[in-house]
Amino acid sequence: MAQPVVSVKGLEVSFATEGGMLNAVRGLTFELAEQEVLGIVGESGSGKSVTALALIGLLPKTAVVKGSVEIDGEEIVGRAEKDMYKMRGSKIAMIFQDPMTSLNPVYTIGWQIIEAVRSHGKVSKDEAKVRAIELLRLSGIPRPEAALDSYPHEFSGGMRQRVVIAIAMANSPRVMLADEPTTALDVTVQAQVLLSLQSALEKTKAALVLVTHDLGVVAGMANRVIVMYAGRVVEFANVDELFYRPSMPYTHGLLGAIPSHAEDSDERLSQIPGAPPTMLNHAGGCPFAPRCPLAQDVCRSTEPALEPVATADGSVHLSACHFRDEVSSMPVASMFKGAEQILEGAEDSGH
Amino acid sequence: MATDSTDTTRSPVLSVRDLVVHFQKKSSLPFAKPTSVVHAVCGSSFDLFPGETLGLVGESGCGKTTTGRAMLQLAEPTSGSIKFDGQELVGLSRKEMGEIRQNLQIVFQDPFGSLDPKMTVGQSIAEPLAIHGRWTDEEGPGLVAEAMRHVGLDPKFASRFPNEFSGGQRQRIGIARALILNPKVLILDEPVSALDVSVQAGVINLLADLQEKFGIAYLMIAHDLSVVRHVSDRVAVMYLGRIVEIADKVDLYSAPQHPYTQALLSAAPLADPKAERQRKRIILEGDVPSPTNPPSGCRFRTRCPKAQDICANEIPDLIDRGQNHAVACHFPEAMKII
Repeated sequence: MAQPVVSVKGLEVSFATEGGMLNAVRGLTFELAEQEVLGIVGESGSGKSVTALALIGLLPKTAVVKGSVEIDGEEIVGRAEKDMYKMRGSKIAMIFQDPMTSLNPVYTIGWQIIEAVRSHGKVSKDEAKVRAIELLRLSGIPRPEAALDSYPHEFSGGMRQRVVIAIAMANSPRVMLADEPTTALDVTVQAQVLLSLQSALEKTKAALVLVTHDLGVVAGMANRVIVMYAGRVVEFANVDELFYRPSMPYTHGLLGAIPSHAEDSDERLSQIPGAPPTMLNHAGGCPFAPRCPLAQDVCRSTEPALEPVATADGSVHLSACHFRDEVSSMPVASMFKGAEQILEGAEDSGH
Repeated sequence: MATDSTDTTRSPVLSVRDLVVHFQKKSSLPFAKPTSVVHAVCGSSFDLFPGETLGLVGESGCGKTTTGRAMLQLAEPTSGSIKFDGQELVGLSRKEMGEIRQNLQIVFQDPFGSLDPKMTVGQSIAEPLAIHGRWTDEEGPGLVAEAMRHVGLDPKFASRFPNEFSGGQRQRIGIARALILNPKVLILDEPVSALDVSVQAGVINLLADLQEKFGIAYLMIAHDLSVVRHVSDRVAVMYLGRIVEIADKVDLYSAPQHPYTQALLSAAPLADPKAERQRKRIILEGDVPSPTNPPSGCRFRTRCPKAQDICANEIPDLIDRGQNHAVACHFPEAMKII
């Protein structure tokens, strides 16, 4: 691979809470090249949003961050806020889930884009305005000249999200982070916004880290995918390998749980029994073992390392499972057939 | 006007004709005239047959939730007719409606907002029995335990409070509460959209099991086309207050005829990377217009790639084009969407 624009090594994020240390992210490692799209998937509380915030240095001060995040060769972890301020926007930009709260309601769209353009480097107001119009046009806003004088409340959710994309690409960052960028949007609007995001990547040649719970969005956008569970990367592969040859039972479960609108199936969806563990004081063993139909004694005692699975095309495919090779040859979600729990009870009220 | 997919051999359990629901948007000043009317539902007609699932899909603001609420008179119909087992519901008094609600229950979207945090789970599930005067100290607890077992919850947790349960479990509690009166029809308003996928799958499987066991008819309101395809027998697509297409699910998904249905299907992502790379998306221009001032004629015309002059002047009727496949479009054309 060419010189990576993002290089994350052994990233760990934890928070001190009354109940002990909460390990939100444990040992995340990946590299991304220009224009590559990395999808990070997982369910609520798996640590995917915390990962995105760690990459752009926006975690609260209470967070303990270890490991290394290099963007274009510059280290992010431990960097002073003043320096970080310069990097945000110019090297790394973020697109949040809710476009209503990520735009300032009391300033016009034009003001907010021009501010972004002028905050990094000397640009005259007129030049910045021309650039703002170009950015709005690139992200698919109709009549961009008129849009400059509009306020965010005059725009719909999809239009606002495209303004956010315009601001994110204003200084041609090396990396863009998008945390559930289309979750708040309707499906026809989602299609418009994803298209804007793709053209922004082509224009800026940035790498994209796309955090989402929607496997459909990942299938259409990502080159490579990380699956997170309980703060840990449990599988990493290119998109085809992940969807057609998943090598971790949790990934099998996720893929089997979503119905398709392209074909009919009377088969039951696979359901993963139980609930995700809390991330307080991890006890050891595979965190998925209590919900895994294939779990053996070794899974409950030893946490499996993230290690390679053999692939046909020689691409890197990592799985954190003691039985990764067996699992990778199983039909998708087959191990969950008949693994449904009969009766569920309340959670133990220990937290 | 509308002749939708009416089946003459069976009689529908729920029959809706020309349903209109308007909301007055009141001015914030006292004594001011009402400023505008929100046209939430405008002339929807459909039938729901015993034991089947009718999916109602559309994007936010299309009127699908209002339609569901109107079935229970939770949103008051402005005009039109809703018949349950042949009996007209529009215009019934509160008391008369109360009787009918025993057969017509609803499960809400938000599993956190729809349970009273100060009531135990058992009390919440038992409440419908008490409201309808069917609670007895001898039989009541047994019925609650049975309802909990039906939805996959251990009855020994009936004395716990909602905060001790996860989102999926709370949704099961909401389903148990709706089931305890043995309703004939269940309105499911986005029952799984607040849940993570693995949990969502469990609730979808549960709903299928319950339908098989009790023969309940479901009106399933959802925005997720994949979920709707999985659970429904027939599907109705709504846009800005109108049903634009209604058909058996196989017909609707394999040969949609309305341009909006086609765009919706082509925009919905598939969890299949190879299929995604081959897809040609129909990207609609612009956004859904405001329901306070909907476009004349066909409401989809402002975003429709096929729109002609007639679309602005005449409202297309929902016409059955064979095999119970009804479409409201001046230029319908079956098209396979990949």
